[in-house]
Amino acid sequence: MTTVEDRVLGRIRYASDAEMPDMLHLRLLRSPYPHALVESIDLSDLDPGIVTFTRDDIDDVEPRYGPWIEDQPLIALDRVRHVGDPVVAVAAPTERGAAEALDRIDVRYRPSPAVFDAAAAILDGAPRVHDAIATSDNFANFYSLRPDIEHNVAHRFRLRSGRGHDGFEQAEVTVEGTFTTPSAAHAPLEPHASLAWWADDRLHLVTGTQTPFNVRQALAKQFHLPEDRVTVIVAAMGGSFGGKMFTRLEPIVAAVARKAGRPVRAILTRSEEFVTLNRHPATFTIRLGARRDGRLVAKSIRALWDTGAYADSGPGVTEKGGYAAIGPYRIPHVTVESLCVYTNNPPNGAYRGYAATQAVWASERLMDRLADALGLDPLDLRLMNLLEDGDRFATGEVMHNVRFRECLESAAAAVDWRAGRRGKGLAVLLKGMTTPSRADASVEIDERGRVILRSATTDMGQRPNETQTLLAASAVGIDATLVEVAPNSTASTPFDMRTTSSRSTHMMSHAIASAATQLRAQIAQRLQVEPDLLTFDGDTVTAPGVRRYRLAELEGARGEGSFRTEGGLDPDDGQGIASSDWHQGAAAVQLTVDDETGVVGFDRVFTSTYAGRVVDPVGAALQTEGSMTMGLGTTLFEAIDFDGGLARNANLADYCIPSLLDVPALDYELLEDPASPPHGLGETALPPIPAAVGNALATLGADVADLPITPEAVLTALGRVTDRSPAGTEAR
Amino acid sequence: MRIAFRLNGADVAVDIPTDTFLLECLRDLGIRGCRLACGLGVCGACTAIVEGRAVATCLMLAAQAEGREVTTIEGLGPDEPLVQAFIDHNATQCGYCIPGFVLTAATLLEDGDWSDDALGHGLAGNLCRCGTYSNILAAVRAVRDGRADAAGPTPPPE
Repeated sequence: MTTVEDRVLGRIRYASDAEMPDMLHLRLLRSPYPHALVESIDLSDLDPGIVTFTRDDIDDVEPRYGPWIEDQPLIALDRVRHVGDPVVAVAAPTERGAAEALDRIDVRYRPSPAVFDAAAAILDGAPRVHDAIATSDNFANFYSLRPDIEHNVAHRFRLRSGRGHDGFEQAEVTVEGTFTTPSAAHAPLEPHASLAWWADDRLHLVTGTQTPFNVRQALAKQFHLPEDRVTVIVAAMGGSFGGKMFTRLEPIVAAVARKAGRPVRAILTRSEEFVTLNRHPATFTIRLGARRDGRLVAKSIRALWDTGAYADSGPGVTEKGGYAAIGPYRIPHVTVESLCVYTNNPPNGAYRGYAATQAVWASERLMDRLADALGLDPLDLRLMNLLEDGDRFATGEVMHNVRFRECLESAAAAVDWRAGRRGKGLAVLLKGMTTPSRADASVEIDERGRVILRSATTDMGQRPNETQTLLAASAVGIDATLVEVAPNSTASTPFDMRTTSSRSTHMMSHAIASAATQLRAQIAQRLQVEPDLLTFDGDTVTAPGVRRYRLAELEGARGEGSFRTEGGLDPDDGQGIASSDWHQGAAAVQLTVDDETGVVGFDRVFTSTYAGRVVDPVGAALQTEGSMTMGLGTTLFEAIDFDGGLARNANLADYCIPSLLDVPALDYELLEDPASPPHGLGETALPPIPAAVGNALATLGADVADLPITPEAVLTALGRVTDRSPAGTEAR
Repeated sequence: MRIAFRLNGADVAVDIPTDTFLLECLRDLGIRGCRLACGLGVCGACTAIVEGRAVATCLMLAAQAEGREVTTIEGLGPDEPLVQAFIDHNATQCGYCIPGFVLTAATLLEDGDWSDDALGHGLAGNLCRCGTYSNILAAVRAVRDGRADAAGPTPPPE
């Protein structure tokens, strides 16, 4: 089990450190065109020692994969759909040899018309990104899709509650706005890395993934194997943030390893990261109507999500972002139309804040505009309309364990809101947790008397082992030093849906508790007492009238636990259970603007997050600060600069992530309720940050609708710059 | 070409192509604490100490290490105060960048200017995508404060 010491001393091993004797190194030749027919591939100049894989090698394997829609080819088939789409895979004994081989391949393309903007892609006559698509039977896809492939729509999520649009008849004041969020890079410092090998017609992978069981299922299907012949060993990740999800490198690495008959490893270069998976650019147009006293009556939301050339998590993002933009408010009449749209940009998928970032940016900015129009304090407007326990959300589900008010009031107090609002901004969020969902775990006493916890929660730096060790120790009733987390492999670890959606601490707390109850029952049975009578002391256990047992004597005692949630939304009316448990949080900022430069200076950046019960205070703090830091990057400067589908800043010198000097003092509160189960904290402090900053800037006269809020954007909004192209630059 | 240098206190000699970067060479020698992330010298994940200076080994040719003393995280033990401070302050999340921070901080604390401002600017060449900055700063400041106490009421002059 990796410790903090292992990480500090560099002893931890990531997927990119995995190696095997005789291993080949894989590189991908990628399309320079955003949309083109692949006319010919000439490999004749390659050395014979180079293993290649092209469309001609796809014989007895499934040609495509994808979690919701099987639209992504193992390697380019008839055409390429984005700059960076892989066309040829090469594998060589050295990384250098593989890189050099790429230069000896000649591919002829015939470029086709391409489309780079979701709004343009849905119009009649727009270039078609896919001619046909097939819905995936991966368990990632658990609800019906509503594609309209002639208009490049991969999925359409709709919601209607009350009288929908007709509800605006009751509105006395209506505001409307369009808000955009650009693409962003996950930029984990460790790039994607996977190692695959075959033995006895069994596939083995060491890979950095948040979704080992989705990957296992996808690869079993790809190679027509029973799932038990595919083993996914999950290595620690050097960051992920949603980027290392579902099948990415795994299919091609496995395919080339099979052809080569040798282990094959791939590690993406930094520039390849920018064409592999990014965050969905989104455009929200929202109309919001209220009575003059501030009571919300109607909201209509239209969202366009640019999912790029392949849908990946796009359908899920489209649904979650669609309802997240309703906000944590009582609104009698709501309509949502949220479209997942194919373009010829690189694929977009899950990204920390999963759709809530884009949705909250739009909906909470518009809330402040409504407050202005009504002449109300934005805090009062929100408090008046917040959902409370027992209220129905627009999905029809009854809200429970609701803490929005506490979060918002805590945030407002942190900036001394009532003392004056100039330079201050607030935002509140509601974010769903994947539902339906299932998590299993087991605990077992080994020959040393240690309790071995098996949990498929993946480690991307969020301290899952520390957190779940504490959960297991407290559930069994022993000291945490006696618990060890077993290596994470689909061959030996019980099923878990995946490590996403900030669900793992919550879901696993239930699964581990039920596994521990079973373990205690088995121990009690051996001691022939009732479980409640067990008393643990160090690595021993006893009960009244029973001798003291060393745990090692109880080797093999074990318990299995499973926790499931039920729900899901109808894709046509958005009714059902969106979330078994809600992520709830708020942010408040206090800032100033330098009128000369447009640079924002922060006096206070604060978030308040509902935590249920904090299990691991160290991890809770780090995840909250990490979310806030990423939120500030998204707010102030992070954006991939696409030009004709080409990422112009695909490196960490031109695409900046926050450094220590970019991050002001961060402050936060984790709202706890000792009677509640633990609640995940991996993302919640991120999505409210951009809107809080935007709302604060609006009080200073800079009403910005598009992220990121660069100094130039601030000066433009203040009316101090009219032409946004820098003086002296030539037109492109 | 053949080059020889000191790596974490031991003499090493390797045959490499002339255009090999030090990072690749170190990893071939089994060093895993230096990691490729940006390849442009902007993120610090590949940091090693060469003759007392923190360098981006993704940009330095291995040949330039000829005859020099190279220290990586593998050369620092758990007893090193800075290492201990990072552990005590839980100054890590995924950990990919952390050895680079430790090594950079080690050189900064040898430089004499121990102000918060100097430490902040000195560490800004290392990036942590997980956002562990406050714990990292706390760890480095704790070591600085310990040394400043040992050295007297004010930091030593240049």
